[in-house]
Amino acid sequence: MIGTFFSINTITIFSVLILLTAAMITISKNLMSMIFIYSMQSLLIVIIAVMLYISEKNPILFTIAVLTFLSKVIIIPFITEKVQHKLRIKRDVTFHHLSPVGSIFLSILVFFIVYAAFSSLAGILADKTSLIIISLSVSLVFMGMIIMFTRKQMITNVIGYLTMENGVLLFSLFVAELPLIIEFLVLLDLIMLILLITLMAFGIDSGIEEYHARIDPFDPIRRRLDSRLGGRFDSRPDIRSERVDREEKAR
Amino acid sequence: MILIEQMILIIYLVVGMLALLSMILSRGEKSMNFFSICHALSYLLISILVVIYEKLPMFFTESRLFFIDTFALYEVVIASFIFFLVAIYLRGYMRLMIGNKELNPKNIRLFYCGFSLLLMSTVFAFFSNNLALFWIFLELTTLFSVLLITLLNAKENIVAGLHYIFIVSPAMVFTFIGLIILYVATQSAGVASINWFDIMHTTGLLQSRILEVSFIFIFIGFAAKSGIVPFHNWLPKAYSAAPSPVTVLMSAVVSSLGMYGIIRVFAIIGHTAALSKISWLLIIFGMVSVAVASFVMLQKKNVKMMLAFSSIEQAGIILIALGIATKTSIFWALLYVTFHSLIKALLFFSAGIINSQYESNNLESISDMIRLQPVASLGLIVGSLAIIGLPPFLLFAPKFFILAELGRHSIILLGLLLFFILIAVSAFAILMTKLFSNVTKDEKNIKIKKFILPASMKFTIILLIILVIALGLYMPPGLQHVINSIVAQLGF
Repeated sequence: MIGTFFSINTITIFSVLILLTAAMITISKNLMSMIFIYSMQSLLIVIIAVMLYISEKNPILFTIAVLTFLSKVIIIPFITEKVQHKLRIKRDVTFHHLSPVGSIFLSILVFFIVYAAFSSLAGILADKTSLIIISLSVSLVFMGMIIMFTRKQMITNVIGYLTMENGVLLFSLFVAELPLIIEFLVLLDLIMLILLITLMAFGIDSGIEEYHARIDPFDPIRRRLDSRLGGRFDSRPDIRSERVDREEKAR
Repeated sequence: MILIEQMILIIYLVVGMLALLSMILSRGEKSMNFFSICHALSYLLISILVVIYEKLPMFFTESRLFFIDTFALYEVVIASFIFFLVAIYLRGYMRLMIGNKELNPKNIRLFYCGFSLLLMSTVFAFFSNNLALFWIFLELTTLFSVLLITLLNAKENIVAGLHYIFIVSPAMVFTFIGLIILYVATQSAGVASINWFDIMHTTGLLQSRILEVSFIFIFIGFAAKSGIVPFHNWLPKAYSAAPSPVTVLMSAVVSSLGMYGIIRVFAIIGHTAALSKISWLLIIFGMVSVAVASFVMLQKKNVKMMLAFSSIEQAGIILIALGIATKTSIFWALLYVTFHSLIKALLFFSAGIINSQYESNNLESISDMIRLQPVASLGLIVGSLAIIGLPPFLLFAPKFFILAELGRHSIILLGLLLFFILIAVSAFAILMTKLFSNVTKDEKNIKIKKFILPASMKFTIILLIILVIALGLYMPPGLQHVINSIVAQLGF
């Protein structure tokens, strides 16, 4: 499967590095660095895709590399970073169910189990050489799940999910080339999911009134007009009626 | 003629786009509702026309990404009928939600757009021949139903929506791995395709070991989507937090999409040596679901929560029926999915009226139910009797035959399942007594103001009551014929 230009060893090393980034996310407490590590993880996958492209000369691989670079190294980290700034939460220090060290040990255990499970399929699924990479990518999925399982903070959960998604991407790079349209749609779906979750993150973080104000781009303007003109510009009937209620009570 | 055939899918797309566009352009809530009714109704009509005039299966696009076969079309007819009912119900319910400030008026447009997008993604998911494409549309249905849940002005809705996403989406990641493994299996058989139709015709060449592994991965995501037990945690919260029409959509359509996926992939397994192991897997998961759900149902004091757990129980029974994997059991499992959708729609529509009458779903706050809301009471009584499988109603026959088939498989499992079903029945009995026993003696002493039921809501409930009773008494031979041909097509 893999040509002569890059030996399988180089790619294995990169895959291990990817797993290392997941381990770093597992133990990290700083949200900002978590997002940065995630984009590095995606960059490593892009590098692997480019290496595969160079040795196999399959244009689909190159397109996947470009798409991944755009979406997972630039757009998604950018969105999450923006959200994190607005949420004003910098750290996620609590661990549930498992301590960081425990999760690392569990991840190692998961890797061995996955390796054992997939080695029985080695003849069909892949040749022996890429078996280790396949096991690495499936363990990456499980590590993402462990991250989601042990943390409760929204951003950390999102990063965990994204890590799982990266595991699938790595897996599909080595095992089978799906049609490009599928890869593209999966990425599109992922971006929409992230957007929706971030909108909801605002809702959890703030009170519900404030939440609707925050996701409304015209709200600052409306509020300014409102303060100048004495409430005439407030088009939100529910809030207006509340104000009327309050005024009546005051009387 | 060939041109028109190729256009059918585009017609679905164009109708959906038109509906969306007119919703975006229209001004009032009423006209948006009108367009959503039109959208669902036109899908229903198009599907019926296709049933009458076209020869199935049909394939679309060069690499056969989409197809229309009997199974898909049948499910689309059911789904668009339920969407149609929900759109009518929304005509009354929307104003209620705005009235008691559950929904911000600014979000009405978004709500209706979400409704149409959910309908479109559901229909295209059913029509996906390519299983990876099916996966994508399934993810989209998750997204849009979460959108519909979280639009309400309550923090618990957002929490429920997040729960939904954070359980179902990661589970679906495993499904994608399973699909890739399935693709590799076909590659080694010399087909290299992820299209369901192509895989179905090469099952003899596939190796059973790799199929087992891929099915286990695929099962995780679809099971999470349809609320099978270890992955069910999101379901009660989401069902009880969502507004009733959305709950109907989720329980009657979106979760049966997960079941549809399981049935499709299981049909692939059905021809191979992997069948016996996978059958046991399905039966065990089904049994555990029924057991857990029926015991939890006993303790629930929230009407919607209780109905949600009943959904989990029913999903378990369907899974058991699939696991038995005989011609009869598959036949009744398919009918079970449809009937369950209809009954659950009836029950959740009625529960929505409880919600608007008492502003709560708690059993303790409900009193004088029959006097205040006769239609909803009738709906709940008929729905409950139907869902526990009492003889004249429509779930009796499916339940009876599935149990009989299970008895041939293993008598111990039959005993266990009967026991769990009995517990679920008693849970419904408790629900009924609690709902209707709290009565004020003198009619003048009733303090709660009667909530006047809008005609549209009344219409949907009465229509469903009639349908549930009529289908129980007389099963049209056409339906029987359709289900039989689906079973044949699935190869059982």
